[in-house]
Amino acid sequence: MTLVAPGGDTAPPAVHSPWPGLIRGTFATAACLAALAAMMIDLKMAPETLLSGSSKLGRFIASMVPPSDGGDSLRILRSLAETFAMAVAGTALAIVAALPLGLLGAKTIVSNGMLHFLFRRCLDIFRGVPALVWALIFISAFGLGPFAGVVALAFADIPNLAKLFAETLENCDRGPVEGARASGVSKILEIRFGLVPQVAPVLASQCLYYLESNFRHAAVLGIVGAGGIGFELDERIRIFAFDQVAYIVLLYMLCVAALDFVSRQLRARLA
Amino acid sequence: MSAGPNSVVETFELARRRALRHQWLQSGLGLLVFSLILGVSFQRSQLFSSEIGGDPLGRIGEFLVRMTPSLHGEVLFESRSTPGSLASWYYDLPVWLAAIWQTIEMAIIATVLGSLGAVIASLLCASNLMPWRPVRFIVRRSLEVTRTMPDLVLALILVAAFGVGPLPGVITLSISTMGGLGKLFAEINEEVDPRQLEALDAAGAGTLNKIRYGVLPQVLPAYASYGLLRLEGNLAAAGALGIVGAGGIGLELQRAITYTEYNTYLAILILMVSMIFLIDLLSETIRHRLIRLDEGGQ
Repeated sequence: MTLVAPGGDTAPPAVHSPWPGLIRGTFATAACLAALAAMMIDLKMAPETLLSGSSKLGRFIASMVPPSDGGDSLRILRSLAETFAMAVAGTALAIVAALPLGLLGAKTIVSNGMLHFLFRRCLDIFRGVPALVWALIFISAFGLGPFAGVVALAFADIPNLAKLFAETLENCDRGPVEGARASGVSKILEIRFGLVPQVAPVLASQCLYYLESNFRHAAVLGIVGAGGIGFELDERIRIFAFDQVAYIVLLYMLCVAALDFVSRQLRARLA
Repeated sequence: MSAGPNSVVETFELARRRALRHQWLQSGLGLLVFSLILGVSFQRSQLFSSEIGGDPLGRIGEFLVRMTPSLHGEVLFESRSTPGSLASWYYDLPVWLAAIWQTIEMAIIATVLGSLGAVIASLLCASNLMPWRPVRFIVRRSLEVTRTMPDLVLALILVAAFGVGPLPGVITLSISTMGGLGKLFAEINEEVDPRQLEALDAAGAGTLNKIRYGVLPQVLPAYASYGLLRLEGNLAAAGALGIVGAGGIGLELQRAITYTEYNTYLAILILMVSMIFLIDLLSETIRHRLIRLDEGGQ
């Protein structure tokens, strides 16, 4: 980053760079560009494939207008509902599993530093696995259908939610808890009146956020056979029925926007 | 003020009871709607449906057992042909490593191309740099569309157009990167210090010079840090895209599943996760350095 020299020196070199800096910068840029070009060649990104593909893509896009429902809009709506159901069920499963894990991951509850570090690293490792990769496993284990999709969504969310829950618990104010303890109530009431009122709205809004993101992921899981709208889409792309693809995608985008709106309203009320 | 203390208490109690009843009613209704949605969802998603055996947890557990490889301690480091050794579990390691490298290449190229697109788009839709409102509106809306479009749907269409291979994957990721980063970059652009732009205006600089000397030096560290964050996301996404035929390690995952080699799937999954983990660590270090630069330290 030759462009971001520290404060006072920035202005003059930005206009008149001294020679050594200029040469070094040019070399670095050239090396980066060469590496990038080498990677592109390695991936066989030739202009002619790009061109022939683009003309094909142009034909696809041209056949998308006007969108049509293919005379089966009821089925499409039903599979959209199924996708939403998958998202809700997956999020619910993930929350149930992530709550105890979040408790275990919070430094304020498990105070052993070593354990805390190991547990967090474990969560970090699993956070990298996308829902689709889980879905592939579960479909071959449980057969085609929404069940595999639900479990895949839950598995992809558990480490993320657990980390968020743990951080929320760590960041909460100790004051109300100590206040409840000072008034001599039992442990359960201490949590009920000291901790829950602080934590619950934050957790609920995080869960809503994950519901939104799961609705997007659930749509995609159908492509590998986990039911819902993705399945319908995949079918229609395979037979090049792009007018119906456009219809489904538009409908889906509307649903995403509607869900985002509702969840934003709910989250604004929670905050 | 003829009302005695008694009636004040009464009105208060009445109002309190009404408020409480209202609250109970509201939360009760909310709970009802919530549980209804949840119940219907569980029913629709066949989570506890009896035709595939009920007992979802048992099925998951049984499957996890099938995924673990049968390794034997005494022959762990023997050659590939010995069953039970590590080498026989990772029997196709060179091919998988090549596929992983391809995934990394896809993610890097897509991040670079997507960020370039995002920089241009963000300059076109920042309210302090682009005076024409219609242009800003159109660019913003198209960025939104690219963000809502699911990656894999785009990938499927592009695979149909460009054929199986990494190229459709790169294009897909570039487009979604452009959508995601474009919005962030536009927000960064709108928060630049206006005094430097005014100084350049006063010196008579043109638009391009204003961007080059007034905007870029202020925003590049933030751009780079968000770009690196996106690279991490793109790696995971590139791994998944292979499943629909867009190149990289996903293709190998798909193959392992098709041949029901569950322990091979686990082997590739471990490779993939460790790749993502390593790159995360690397980019985290770079990002922390960039943030320090941004704050003027070092």
